[in-house]
Amino acid sequence: MSANDEKTKSGLLDVDLQYHVQLKTGDVSDFVILPGDPGRVEFIAEHFDSATLVADNREYKTMTGVYKGRSVSVTSTGIGCPSTAIAVEELANVGAKTFVRLGTSGAMQEYTRVGDKVIATGAVRYEGTSVQYMPIEFPAVASHDMVSALIQSAKEAELNHHIGIVQSKDSFYGQHNPEGMPIASELLQKWDAWVKGGVLCSEMEAATLFVVGSYRKLRTGAVLLVAGDQAKQESLTKEEYKANMTESINMILESSLQIEEGS
Amino acid sequence: MEAVQKIEQVKHLPIKFGEVARYVIVPGDPNRVPVIAESLENVINQGQNREFNAYKGTYKGIDVSVVSTGIGCPSTAIAVEELSHIGAEVFIRIGTSGSVDKSAKKGDIFIATAAVRDDGTSKQYIPIEFPAIASHNVVSSLIKASKDLNIDSKVGICQSKDSFFGETEPDRMPVAPYLDFKWKSWQEGGVGASEMEAATLFTLSQIKRIEAGAILAIETSDKETIKKMTEIVLESITYMEGERNVS
Repeated sequence: MSANDEKTKSGLLDVDLQYHVQLKTGDVSDFVILPGDPGRVEFIAEHFDSATLVADNREYKTMTGVYKGRSVSVTSTGIGCPSTAIAVEELANVGAKTFVRLGTSGAMQEYTRVGDKVIATGAVRYEGTSVQYMPIEFPAVASHDMVSALIQSAKEAELNHHIGIVQSKDSFYGQHNPEGMPIASELLQKWDAWVKGGVLCSEMEAATLFVVGSYRKLRTGAVLLVAGDQAKQESLTKEEYKANMTESINMILESSLQIEEGS
Repeated sequence: MEAVQKIEQVKHLPIKFGEVARYVIVPGDPNRVPVIAESLENVINQGQNREFNAYKGTYKGIDVSVVSTGIGCPSTAIAVEELSHIGAEVFIRIGTSGSVDKSAKKGDIFIATAAVRDDGTSKQYIPIEFPAIASHNVVSSLIKASKDLNIDSKVGICQSKDSFFGETEPDRMPVAPYLDFKWKSWQEGGVGASEMEAATLFTLSQIKRIEAGAILAIETSDKETIKKMTEIVLESITYMEGERNVS
């Protein structure tokens, strides 16, 4: 912790009550689930054994509770890496040590099907936030032990899952309508490169979570539910989405039991 | 069998189709190949061309190859391309390295989960935003082997550079401020080891859908440490082969 203390002794981060997430020490568990959507926080917390709302400011909504005797929290990050970096930094300042993103994503491979769960080992840094932390050559990589814990709970629940690299982008519509963008050729060329490189799915937060996690010495992981396939024009129905989210949430909660509390 | 077998010669390696094992240990130094091969049984020296020295043998009944890559990502890419072309599927680098953030110290054994792409070769395959990540399965097997054999190891990110002297004597380089800035970033970011081949090995393994890992000795190349790393790697291969046979 001393290294982290050193790194945050300035300006806005100097006080205990965190500026954006409106949390202070004791408000959150060491294990935090990070969805993008604040509207998904309550649904996630319904899978805990008990939960209470501890903060709700801007896109950051936090609930803390217990799952099978283990303390857990859920905080929404909002869309994109800029707001994710703020959430991770501020949560770390008040004691969070393990961060598992739960998000939706678009399929990028023939075999990543709608409804599949992708466990990210790393992320393509096609975003602007993590480069304001670390030079671009640095790998956005999830923590090995967190990935192992997620794989184990996916196997135990017999979920269709994939393990590998995901892509993090800043422009949602740059992915969905690349031809319409002034930099169409770059977007299309890079997309093709990621597909050839075996990238499994596309989302918008993991790269910064992993890079900030490495720098702040935090444990990180991400589960991305494949919710749509642009090329095939497929997506989950509302009911399918809910059922698949429940599977993903339970998978993360079960994995939390493998992470020693406070470690 | 021989009649239908493809005879495929590759440009740089001394071996051809059918002469490589599924599992290949890839040190940088051609002279380290026979040292590693001492831990195998039924060893064959398959010859050397340029910096690519090839041996093959068995460990607990599993075929294992040892082929050197030479120093640096350019020759490593050639070795990985040609080895995977002739049938290799799992690559484990055994190498030496410098320490970066001091989490790993002289004499330590370091298992790399990913690599900083401070190399030129991997960028000629895929844009720089793509992460150079080791295979989760290979890393897990290496960690388990190290625990089971009671040989201490550290786990983390390594940096792969192209200029050896840019690391050891950065001040005399025209780009000294750039090297210094980057090095400090890697130290702050939690990079444990600095070496010269993993970034391209990991990047290529993703692109070619093969598996790769790396185990590194920090600031030492003594035979004892190389032996220990070889033990870990060979044991990890038995786990991976065992799992393959189950699934």
